[in-house]
Amino acid sequence: MRKRLLLLLFAQLVARGAIAGEPVAVIAYAGMPKTDVAALQRLYTGRSVSIGQLSAVPINLPVGHPVRQSFLESLLGQNDEQYTAYWLVRRYVGKGAPPKELADVGEVLDYVRNTPGAVGYLPQSSVPPGVNVIFRR
Amino acid sequence: MKLNTLLALLLAVPMAAKAVEFNWSGFGTAGYAISDNANRYQRFITDRGTFNRDSVFGGQLDVKLSPQFGATIQARLAPAADSDSRWEPSLAWAFLSWRPLDDFLLRAGKLRVPLMLNTENQDVGATYPFVRLPVEVYSTAPTTDIWGVMFSKSWWRADWEWGLDGYYGKINYFQRLHVRDMPQQGGGATWYDPTRLEGGGLVLSLRADEDVYRIGYHRIETRRRQGGIISDLAFTPLPSPPYQPGEGLYDVSSSPQVDATVSQLLTLGASVALPEGFQLTAEYARLLSPDAVNGWNRWSAYAALAKRIGRWTPYGYYAQMQSAGNVLRRYQAVENNNVSIPAPGMAASQHLAADYLIAHDQSTWAVGTAYQLTPRSLLKTEWSQTHTGIVSSFIDAPSGGSSANQRIDVFSVSYSFTF
Repeated sequence: MRKRLLLLLFAQLVARGAIAGEPVAVIAYAGMPKTDVAALQRLYTGRSVSIGQLSAVPINLPVGHPVRQSFLESLLGQNDEQYTAYWLVRRYVGKGAPPKELADVGEVLDYVRNTPGAVGYLPQSSVPPGVNVIFRR
Repeated sequence: MKLNTLLALLLAVPMAAKAVEFNWSGFGTAGYAISDNANRYQRFITDRGTFNRDSVFGGQLDVKLSPQFGATIQARLAPAADSDSRWEPSLAWAFLSWRPLDDFLLRAGKLRVPLMLNTENQDVGATYPFVRLPVEVYSTAPTTDIWGVMFSKSWWRADWEWGLDGYYGKINYFQRLHVRDMPQQGGGATWYDPTRLEGGGLVLSLRADEDVYRIGYHRIETRRRQGGIISDLAFTPLPSPPYQPGEGLYDVSSSPQVDATVSQLLTLGASVALPEGFQLTAEYARLLSPDAVNGWNRWSAYAALAKRIGRWTPYGYYAQMQSAGNVLRRYQAVENNNVSIPAPGMAASQHLAADYLIAHDQSTWAVGTAYQLTPRSLLKTEWSQTHTGIVSSFIDAPSGGSSANQRIDVFSVSYSFTF
């Protein structure tokens, strides 16, 4: 329990210093396979629900978070506004809701470690040892 | 009953409570429109102004039962579908979705069909820059909702995505009819005829970068819930003498009827990014209904040009809608039918017969702009000018009058939001 709290604190502290453009690592629940940009693009735009043959649950950081901005720009080539607009239409054509949002990288790390299929992202410098990294940008 | 079934199915789907995600969202448009014409246009717009034409409010609940299973319910509050004077809440969507494969989505329940580019999201004004989608094209089908099933299959590559949507279902709706003159009572009348629609369609789309291309084919069977559909107006000769040879009246009550009409609808659409930030959008719809001579036989199209300049998106469009030639000729024949010895009620009966055709011949120019207040809200304004030719059934023409050769200017302002 103490180790887990320290890891979360470490991730929070590093993420606070993260700036847009810092390399991002995509992490996933243990056992999820390595993947590529195309698969992650489809996952975060709601056009697929799996990585490999395994069900995947994408997790986002909140709008305006610098790590989210870095992730969206490097992975999708979109800024926050474009990504929000994309999901606005997709939701209202009945093709699903945007990925669940968690408040900070600590919550993302916690959720991904404990939720089968979960996929999230962190600044590369804040990935603790032992976490399943499935893609690095 | 259908909603109960849907909810029962929803509860029957095995789920782990921890895995279920509820996602609420809401949307709305508060819109005001005023014209320079005393006659009602598009049900509500007059020179007294109205909030009823464009205002709509709704909420949506997306339930994610698992990555593969979900459910969506959307409720909306808007002017009633069977009354021009009251608002009512209604269930716009209520469906279960299942994605057995990444590229295959199956939905069942109450759905909105992918008729035109913005049909599915037409109630959510924050998703497009126009104050209102061109009525000439977006009124092609009297309703775009069905109770039924829909599949969506897609094929991806790095820079393009093909999509194929297919659906089948049925729905009860109300066909609005305004007549200028009632022969017995005198004066005009508006009523909503309970009608049933059943049909299906296939829509193929291609997305490449910011460009979208779409082609669709739909087959629609329509039947009135009480009585048949007039297939053609009967011409009843009047006795000669005293009338001149060839004189007669078009008579609704003795006109031949069919139980149902089968219509075929072809839709084409494209939205293409041009240099300098311009976006060109054009759509075309051709509705063929060989079982009856009425306004279901028509074509419509529009072309719109928009440009994003910071938070502003100015736009302009031209739209046109025209009933088939034989329908317009029949309308003119009925409308202009005269007899040498007029009797009381004769002119009214011919107006009634002509209005039964629900014919259209109009075009609209519009210029406007949207201003993005936030990523989820738009302020919009538009000026449009509609010209009618032989007839426009979007205009509630006055008793003894006509909707022909009118010019209607409409000024609109609206605020659309989501949350």
